[in-house]
Amino acid sequence: MTTQNNAWAETIAAALKDAGVSLIAYVPDVSIHRVTELLERDDFFHVVAATREEEAIGVAAGAYAVGRNAAVFMQSSGFGNCVNALASLCLPARIPVPMFINMRGEVGEFNIAQVAMGRATRPALDTLGIQHYTLESEDRLGLRVAGALKLCYASRQPLALCLTPLLHGGKLA
Amino acid sequence: MHRFPATKRILEMVGDLPIVANLGPTSDELWHAGHRDRNFYTYGSMGLCSSIALGMALSTSDKVISLDGDGSLLMNLGTIATIGRESPANLIVIAWDNEQWGQTGGQATHTAFGTDLASVAQSCGIRKTATVHDEEELESALAQALEEDGPWFITAKIVEEPESMPVAPNEPEMTTYRFRGTYGG
Repeated sequence: MTTQNNAWAETIAAALKDAGVSLIAYVPDVSIHRVTELLERDDFFHVVAATREEEAIGVAAGAYAVGRNAAVFMQSSGFGNCVNALASLCLPARIPVPMFINMRGEVGEFNIAQVAMGRATRPALDTLGIQHYTLESEDRLGLRVAGALKLCYASRQPLALCLTPLLHGGKLA
Repeated sequence: MHRFPATKRILEMVGDLPIVANLGPTSDELWHAGHRDRNFYTYGSMGLCSSIALGMALSTSDKVISLDGDGSLLMNLGTIATIGRESPANLIVIAWDNEQWGQTGGQATHTAFGTDLASVAQSCGIRKTATVHDEEELESALAQALEEDGPWFITAKIVEEPESMPVAPNEPEMTTYRFRGTYGG
């Protein structure tokens, strides 16, 4: 783990800080851990471990309601656990929550149980009218993340950034 | 105890402190009891009332009051564990417990069969808990919770009302930005 290139994770952490996103709610995942461990080491961030992804959405929504920007980190399987929180809280109440979703079920996946939800994640986001962008390389990564955060808060809607193994190179587990 | 007069009493006690209300009658009754900018009504996302309040409590120094419900909390018991883990001193959860899913036909919830939400809170590391059965007990527990550091978890046993109050004429987006405006957002 320590020998891996972590520039992508540092870029995401820096973009969150620049956008004033200081509360992070997450359900763990091996790949997003490389970002959340950076955030936990920085006093600027308060990182909340949630028991389930919809809970993380609720925590982030509450932070926003009192004026603090908050993001959620999860795995694509967990996106399935928070669809109603997005549909019945964030969308009608116009609460912007940037979501960083590690995509399972894509190239390199070894677990059949991850495939269907991974495949369904982007279509479900589309059906909900939630904009999403896929991050699969470090090419202009900082610009993409900063731009997505700006768009999320300007539109007052949740937004998803889908992280793929092509970005983080991590094993899919 | 009846939820509506108890809600009125809570409003009298908490001043300008923010309140998050569970979906359905809890939100509607809060609106009828006293509409104010710092009422965060919810309309869906069943189970997330106290999660929203937790996010607030971690982000403001104000005491934050969550008016949750037994059926809803049973959907998201994990958030009680997260509240215990984070232990924000400024969070007060009041769980209205009528031992039923009141809006779907009055089916008995698990609290009618022995699940004790205040004990769940205790086992999750929330040391300040109470179970109250009438307005006097509620008032006393809330007064202490407003005075002392928490987090607090108060189970408030209520009877389900036969009739629902009219749905509050609110819009979710207006709720968010009216509430947020009081925090300069």
